[in-house]
Parts: sequence; structure tokens; C-alpha cells
Amino acid sequence: MSRILVAEDDPHILRVISLWLKRQSHEVIEARNGLMALELFNVHRPQIVVTDINMPGMDGLELLETLGKSDCKPRGIVVLTNRWDHREIGEQLANRGVQVVPKPFSPSDLASRIEKLLAAHDEAAPA
Amino acid sequence: MAPGKRENADLGGPQPESAPGPKRFCFRLWDGVVPEAVSVGLCVLVLAGIVGVALLGDQLLRSGLESSRMAAGRALAQAAASAIRSMTAEENSDATALNALLAAGVQAVRWQGPGAEVREWVLNSDGSLFRERGDATALVAAPTISRGQQFVATLADASDAQGGSVTVTLARFTTWRPRLWLAGGAAAAAFLALLGYLAIYERLRRHVQPLAAIQRNLESYADGIERDLMALSLSDSFGAVAASWNRLIEQTNSVREQATVHNDGDLTQSAMKRFENRTLRDVLDRLPIGVIRCRTDERIVYANSSACRLLSTSQSKIRDQYLPPVVGEEVSTPLLGAYQRGATSEVIDRQSGEGDKESTLRFRLVPSLTVGDEAELLITVEDVTHVREAERARDNFLYHVTHELRTPLTNIHAYAETLGRPGFDDESTRKECYNVIISESKRLSTLVEDILSVSQLEVGSLRLELADVDILKLMRAMVQDNLGRADAKRIDLRLKLPPKAPAVRGDKQRLAILISNLIGNAIKYTPSGGQVDVHLEAQDDSLRITVADTGIGIAESDQKHVFDKFYRVASEAVQQTSGTGLGLAIAREIARLHGGDIELQSALGRGSTLIVELPASPQGASVGASS
Repeated sequence: MSRILVAEDDPHILRVISLWLKRQSHEVIEARNGLMALELFNVHRPQIVVTDINMPGMDGLELLETLGKSDCKPRGIVVLTNRWDHREIGEQLANRGVQVVPKPFSPSDLASRIEKLLAAHDEAAPA
Repeated sequence: MAPGKRENADLGGPQPESAPGPKRFCFRLWDGVVPEAVSVGLCVLVLAGIVGVALLGDQLLRSGLESSRMAAGRALAQAAASAIRSMTAEENSDATALNALLAAGVQAVRWQGPGAEVREWVLNSDGSLFRERGDATALVAAPTISRGQQFVATLADASDAQGGSVTVTLARFTTWRPRLWLAGGAAAAAFLALLGYLAIYERLRRHVQPLAAIQRNLESYADGIERDLMALSLSDSFGAVAASWNRLIEQTNSVREQATVHNDGDLTQSAMKRFENRTLRDVLDRLPIGVIRCRTDERIVYANSSACRLLSTSQSKIRDQYLPPVVGEEVSTPLLGAYQRGATSEVIDRQSGEGDKESTLRFRLVPSLTVGDEAELLITVEDVTHVREAERARDNFLYHVTHELRTPLTNIHAYAETLGRPGFDDESTRKECYNVIISESKRLSTLVEDILSVSQLEVGSLRLELADVDILKLMRAMVQDNLGRADAKRIDLRLKLPPKAPAVRGDKQRLAILISNLIGNAIKYTPSGGQVDVHLEAQDDSLRITVADTGIGIAESDQKHVFDKFYRVASEAVQQTSGTGLGLAIAREIARLHGGDIELQSALGRGSTLIVELPASPQGASVGASS
């Protein structure tokens, strides 16, 4: 079981992601915007962060910047976006180990990506 | 002269307006003064020669006369001496012989004998006869008549009693002395001759000048310098020729026009080419797009009016300028590079200014020209500032549309997938999935409708179906439609209408959307237990619809954006409420299409009031409240 932070301003999307991750026995921490996500990250130290880009207050990119400077970085980050320039964003973020998933997305695909991220990290650093 | 025809200002004849002094002077300087000056100089020289010859002849004549007179005088003195000798020898006093001298003009004869004897004969006062004058004593002391010219003859040797000398006095040499008045006369004659010459020359010049102008005009026309043959102004001396010439021009122009209309090419090729060049130039100067012709050495050969306007220069200044400083290195370098590579098209946008003064010029290399043996670049210039703005607006619109469309699509996709997967088959989850799919489908549908409405409003393709709309009835209907939503949120929706109101000339369906959007927004952003007041105030020529709520309100910083498309306040309360961000934008566009406008009064946490002003129908009758 892993702890996963999901930051998404749309309540329905947040709910469905949460449903899928919980079904795989992960602990899901829900945040409705970037600031809330940052606070919850600092409190819960999740292994994986799933965030939308367009959010009120602090958006997903600002959240990534802040997390990048954090002492305790997450094992993996998945960015959700409905921006039409998601390919450019993906290229920019790829070298930072960030996966970009354009909307509309398949929740099963998202869940399997997260599992792969967790597995890859476990292989790289077997604790 | 036909109206609109250019007139040959070089020609003689009465044309004070068309031939101002300086131009006429310039013409004379080159065409008249030099030959005139040479002619006058020659004339003066000839006349001076004539005067000189006259004076020389006079001098020679005078010399001849003088010598002949001297000879005559001496002969007369000898004759007088003979007469006196005979008189003294015969001792008679007969002066007959002396009288004979009278005819030769002798005035006096004086004989001085060898002693002191002096005798003198003078002409009578009537000039007829000589008489002996005075006695000898007196004559010795008295001077000889000195008015005349004296000639002396010696009678014999001094010892001879009959000797002595004879002095003959002739009348003063009265030969003609024409020197002064001859010169004056010659000068006067020369002056008169000069005047006459000038008069004749001027008259000849006025006759010849139009012919010279015609010649020059024809040469310029043949060389292609002039586009048209110029009409002559009519003058008294040359009226017939000028009229004939002008008729010729009229006929030429007529033939040219016919050739242009019927394209039957009666004119010579060169004339047609000139005509086409002029027409093309006129056409190019009227194009809204700039055109630049440039040689391969980067010098500009031609730029039309639009190009000069866009580049803030003039046709006279831009000609022969190098391309890079005129259009900028950032434009000329890639264009010239593309030309050298053999590319037939290249587009470079040049942006200048910032903010409201931002402008963009688009330079386009089009397939090059070959003029004569020389290749030329052809470049067009367009002001694409408005195109760029439209592109930005389009991109912005698309950005928001895709963003807004993807959100409900994502939900529908995700919840539909969830429904079919094991592990989500409990009743509550299934129900939740169905509800989300249905609500998001409605959201998607509303969004699509709103986008279509905005598009129609923006491109102006929305056609209002105008009619006199009973605004009281319409507002009641709209409030009725929203009562269910208000009740669901326990919001007190109130309607206050005047007893009667003028009709609105407008599109009933669009006005219904306008009112519904305002009421719907008020309900959406008012918490449960709040209040929404819909109010109509009617005046003779206008109507005011007010929708006031006790909702969350709008911060001042957001108020100027609420009518922008897809704008949604970034507060959590707003984001948790579904919406497209298009409702108020559509409402404002509809109000403006009806000649009205919409205004917002709001404060954060203290509700919002939207006020719509609409003009009343000028012909529409007032409608009364039916219930």
C-alpha cells in the first residue's frame, strides 16, 4: 500500500481517481488546489503525486516547482492536463521524471501508470 | 480645348494662366534669346559698317572737293591776275574781266602792287558786280576781306611796275558738311531697322514656335517620356493649326479608347504598352497591398502607394534606396537569401511597437520578374496586425473551448469506464457513476450550445428575428422556468413588474436566453436560503431589467473580466459550481445586439446586481400586466 496525493479542482475527476486508487488498496489524500496539495504533501509525505495543471490558486506547475525544491521528493509525479499543448509540456517535464497524461484519460491507464512508477522505484531502491 | 486635356504651356498665344512668366522665360532662354542676341549683334555690326563707310566716303569726298577747290582757287587767282594785268597794262578800269570771275564764286580780288599800291575789288552787295573798294591808303591798312578763302597769284617779278600779287577771296568753302547728321541719320536708320527686324522676328517666332512645340511633343511622345500628346492653346496667329492639331489628339484618344474597349489593337504596340503601363501603375497604386520591385543589387526600382504608406515613406524617397534599410535587415536578409536559393515564396513578419501600438507587417517574396534582361525581386507588403489579433483571439478561444470541453468529456469517459470494471459494482458507486455521466452530458450539451451562440454572436452570423416582444410576459416565463432550481436551493426568487411596459423590438428567443442566464447565474452563485430579485422598470423609451442576488458577490478585481468569454472567478466557491464562463458574455452580446447594454454592481460577499438597459420599441404598443 502506498500513499498517493491527488490534486484536482474538478470534484468528479478527483472522486473517480480516488475510487480507482483506493480499489488498489492505496491511501489517497485529496486536495482541491495546489496550495492545499502542498500542505498535505508536507504533512503526509506521499510516495506518488497526481496533479492537475489548471487549478485555482497555485496551479500544478507551480506545485511541481515547489516539490522539486523539497527535501523529500515523491517517488513519482503524474500530471493531468486538458491543455492542448500537453505534448510540449510533456517534453519539458520528461527530463524531470514527470509523466503527463492528457485529459480525457482512462482511469485504469492512470492506475497502471502509478503501479509501474511504484514498482520501478521499488526495483531501483529495494528497501 | 477639351476639358481635362493637358495644354502645351510652351506655346505662344494668349494663355496667361497656363504660361506663367518664369516658365515662358525659361523657354525663351533656351530657344530664343541666344539666336536673337546673335542676330541683333550682327545687325548692329552691319549697321555700324554702313555708318563707317558713309563717314569714310564723306571724308574722301571732302578731300576731293578740297583739292579741286584749291586748284580752282589757284586758277581763279591766275585769272584774276591776268585780268588785273590787262587792266593795269591798258590802264582802264573796266572790271568786265573781273566780273567774269563772279560766276566762279569770287568775292573779292585784291591787288598789291610792287610799291604800296593796293587795289581791291569786291562783290557788290547784291552779288552782281565787282566794284572797286576804297582808296589805296585805306586798303593797305585795312584787312582784306577775310571771311572767304584766299588764294594768291603773283603777277610778275617784283621790279615790274605791273608786278605785285593778286589775292582772290572766294566765298567760304560751303561744300556740303554732312558728318554729324549723316551719322545721326545712319544711327536712326539702324535703330529703325533693328526695330523692324525684331518685329518681323517676333512675328516669325510666334508662327514657328507652335511648330517647334509640336516637334518636341512628338519627340517626347515617341521616346515614351510623355504619355499623351498635349493639346495646343488657340492663338490668333496659329489658331487653325492648333485646332487641327487638337482634332488630331481627340481622334487619337478616341481610337485608343475604342481599342481599349474592344481590344482590337488598332493602336501601335508601343502606344498600347504605354497605356498599359500607366493603367497598371494606377491599378498598383490603388491596391491595399504594398508592392515593391527590387533589383538583384538590392536597389528598389518601384514601390506602390500602399508600400510607401506602410513603410512611412514616399515614392520619390524610396526609389533607388537599398532594400535593407527600408524594410529592415531582419526582413531583407531572409527574403534575398530565399531569392538567391531560387525559392519562389518566402514570408517574413515584422513586428513593431508594443501594446496598443503593436503592428505587424507581412513581407512576402513572390515569383520574381524579369524586366528586359534584368531579373527583379517582387515583394508584397501587408499590414497583418488585425490578422494577428484575430489569430490570438482564435487561439485563446480554442484554448478555452478545448479546456472546457475536455473536463465533462473526461468525467464521462472515466465514469463510463468505471461502470464496466469489476470492483465498482456496488449500487452506490454505480448510481454515482450514472449521475455524473448524465450531469456531465448535460454540461457538455450546454457548453456546446453556448459555444455555438458565442461563435454566432462573434462572427455576426446571428440573425435576430425581430418582433415586438411582450417583455412582461417573457420575464414571467423566465422566472417560472427557474423557480424549480431556486426552490431546490431554498432561494426566494421574486419578480416585480410594473403595471404596464412598452414592448421591446427584439428577438424573443435571444432575449429569453439573456434573462434566463442572469437569473440562472444569480441562483447558481447564491447560497441556500438566499434571495434573488428580478425587477423591471419601464420608461417611455427604455426598459431596465435588474437581477439582484444575495450571493457570494464578485471581487472588484474580477468585475472587469466577468463578461469575458470563459472567464470564471478563481475562488473555490465558483470553481465548485459548474459553469462554462460564457453565460454573461452571451448576455452582454445579446443586450448589445438589441441596442442596449449590461452593467454589474457587486461586492465580494454582498451579492451581485446585474442591470440590463434595453430600448423600447419605437412603434410597439404598451402591454399591460395580464396577471
